[in-house]
Amino acid sequence: MTGRGPGTIIGFPHKRKLVTSIKLFLFFCLSDVSCNSVAQKIYVELNNTVPCVRLLNATHQIGCQSSISGDTGVIHVLESEADLEWPLSKGPNPPYMVLLESSLFTKSIMMKMKNASSRVAGVVVVPKTSPPEFSPHTTCPNENTGVYTETYDHNLAHCNTTVWNPRGNGLSYEEFDFPVFSLKEDNETEVIKQCYFDHNRVVNGSGLQYPLCAMQLFSHMHAVTDTATCMRRSSMDFSTSPVMVCDPLGGYNVCAFIRPYNSTAFGHKENESVVIAAARLDSKAFFLEDSTGAEGSVSGFVTLLAAAQALCEATQEAPRTRNILFAFFHGEVFDYIGSSRMVYDMKNNMFVIDLDNVHSILEIGQVAVRSGTNLFLHSDPVSRRNNTVHDEVTNLVKNLQSSTAGLNFSFVETDFSQPLPPSSFQRFLRARAIPGIVLADHQTDFNNRYYESFYDNAAHLNLTYPSNLSPEEQLEFVTDTAKSLTEVATAVARTLFKQAGGNNSQVNKINADPKTVTQMLYGFLVRSNNSWFQVLGSSLRCVFCLSEPNPPQYYVGVAKSSHQANALTYLVQYLLANLTGTATNLTQSQCKKPDELPNESTYLYSYLWVQGMVPPNSTQRESFCVRTAVRLVKAVSPAFDLGDYVSKEYSTWTKSQWKFIKARIFLVASRDLEMLTLGVGVAVLFTSLLVTYFVSTKADVLFSSVREPNNAAY
Amino acid sequence: MNLERLPNEEKLTLCRKYYFGNVYNVCVWGFAFLPFLWLVNVVWFFKEAFVKPTYTEQLQIKTYVKCSGLGFLLWVAVLTTWITIFQHFRAEWGEVGDYLSFTIPLGIP
Repeated sequence: MTGRGPGTIIGFPHKRKLVTSIKLFLFFCLSDVSCNSVAQKIYVELNNTVPCVRLLNATHQIGCQSSISGDTGVIHVLESEADLEWPLSKGPNPPYMVLLESSLFTKSIMMKMKNASSRVAGVVVVPKTSPPEFSPHTTCPNENTGVYTETYDHNLAHCNTTVWNPRGNGLSYEEFDFPVFSLKEDNETEVIKQCYFDHNRVVNGSGLQYPLCAMQLFSHMHAVTDTATCMRRSSMDFSTSPVMVCDPLGGYNVCAFIRPYNSTAFGHKENESVVIAAARLDSKAFFLEDSTGAEGSVSGFVTLLAAAQALCEATQEAPRTRNILFAFFHGEVFDYIGSSRMVYDMKNNMFVIDLDNVHSILEIGQVAVRSGTNLFLHSDPVSRRNNTVHDEVTNLVKNLQSSTAGLNFSFVETDFSQPLPPSSFQRFLRARAIPGIVLADHQTDFNNRYYESFYDNAAHLNLTYPSNLSPEEQLEFVTDTAKSLTEVATAVARTLFKQAGGNNSQVNKINADPKTVTQMLYGFLVRSNNSWFQVLGSSLRCVFCLSEPNPPQYYVGVAKSSHQANALTYLVQYLLANLTGTATNLTQSQCKKPDELPNESTYLYSYLWVQGMVPPNSTQRESFCVRTAVRLVKAVSPAFDLGDYVSKEYSTWTKSQWKFIKARIFLVASRDLEMLTLGVGVAVLFTSLLVTYFVSTKADVLFSSVREPNNAAY
Repeated sequence: MNLERLPNEEKLTLCRKYYFGNVYNVCVWGFAFLPFLWLVNVVWFFKEAFVKPTYTEQLQIKTYVKCSGLGFLLWVAVLTTWITIFQHFRAEWGEVGDYLSFTIPLGIP
């Protein structure tokens, strides 16, 4: 022996074994075999879900809340309203996770579940066919923030004369204390139903055998009570970092003047008179991220975009007495965020014009679902009591009615005593009696059976394409809806031309392009990742690089502090820029800094780098720089700038924040089995403690016969 | 620290230190941690004060232990009352409740 210590000789074989086992362990962990495969064998994660989230305003919280560690319930597929008895009273294994098809997603079922919420762990909605009508919005949209208040006119307030949305059940504005999710994909629904049929079905009325199929939903919302509370909690300074619990809703309005002004000069412009052509961009649904708004908002802004294109082609040469502002307001569904912001900016000299410069307003409301060949012109009876306003409105009506000459429809005025439908124009009226008209396809209440719901989609507008067309051919195919909207756009463009003082003889040359309209409808309602949007889009912001073919979300979203708008705003901005702007020869670096060039000015114009087409013989896109008067104007409710979170004047909507949202299904054992396992474990623990205690006290008796091998081999 | 090995005078000094709260000669945070120091006093010196056979310093140690015990019970009563009231009414107090809180739970009023 060479004189090593005793420990090394005895320990050496053990050390080698230890090192080998460590190496094996690391090999398995770092290779593809995942270390937590047990979790994967238990849970099936559901990836394509849309949750119902919590929104707050000055007085209420609406939406859904789960508990912080998720809500678990045994899955029950609801077959009819009578079947509700099983989860609510008869079922032996509460709480239940109720799976509904869309036809059963009604207010009465949801309210019954809300009242029995101790037995209902959550609700999952599977959207299938559209019901005949469904509107989760209120019957009188934006009733407290429009112009019809008690002081303005007592009889017209709170929809006393006309209930605009009679099918509204107010489901979006209810508060649920269990999570409600919507499933998007069909594969996952099949997995859930298979699990249900395998384990949870009641056989011959007898009790169910464990294990049962259960689902767990996590959608814990951080904000509570109302906007004032959550904004206060977000801004409190603690020694640890403050936690933001809610964010105000907001976005950007898209504005474009036909003849642009210096964008740094705010306030009143002498001798300038502007006609505002307005439309709404956003909409919502019960599940906010699933909002589509085909009739509610898309029909209006697509018409206005087409009218802008038609007008800009015609007004290159002719001088006009008045300017025209194309304004696309965002956030209108949530108490007129965009339009109230613009009026506030105008009143406080924070916009390039002010209210004195506004001559009249023409707003395009819901125009796609006609019940005849007429479109209706709504005006405000109270402001028309003033003779000047009345004369201007009559003039505008005359311009509108004469502009439909040669077209297949006509404009009809509504009853004089009827108030305006919910529209951005109401916020302007709240500040000043401005003459204006709202175009709509409904004479009294809405023709839209799915107002602000998930079903207001392409099918609702009868956007049908022949089945043998490829997506590119569908993009170019002119549908009937597109044709009718084109005619409306033509009429609007002609009216605006006349209203701005254009020459009457030139009017009939103004025509909207049906191809543009149908491409826009396809892009906004069917598939936004199409070649036309890609041509017009920006290469810098990959919002158009949408991996799914689904349309963008129409809900206004949260006002981000970075200058990032959401996909819909960018789409409309780039579309309007391309339809009304001019292409230039500037290079990409010149496009970013055009002030250095003699003829370009960033005060008047904005310069956007557009992706362009791929020419037939190459793979590179021919991008170019567009000079346009389109600007994005911030649209956040003035209540947040003023710090007045209980405002009755402005929108105070905020959305709660959350940590994560997920859903998963797994098999759950009976409570008795869980308790038994726990009991056995505790018993084993105590037994082992006792045994150890006895062994240690009697150690000298038990181990005295074994002698330590003490061979001194060294 | 094993009390068995200390002489009796040192036991008394230690008990006094824990009673007045100036362990390590720092009076400042002695008062803040008094309830805990008093609890330590009671638990540690209980055997010394009441169980062991009498010695000279034991009477003083007994007084310190009794006073510590009383003070500790008083603190427990005050704290329990305040904590119960605060936990129950914090949500109703709204703004005041939020300003009094160190961390505010998420998602519940």
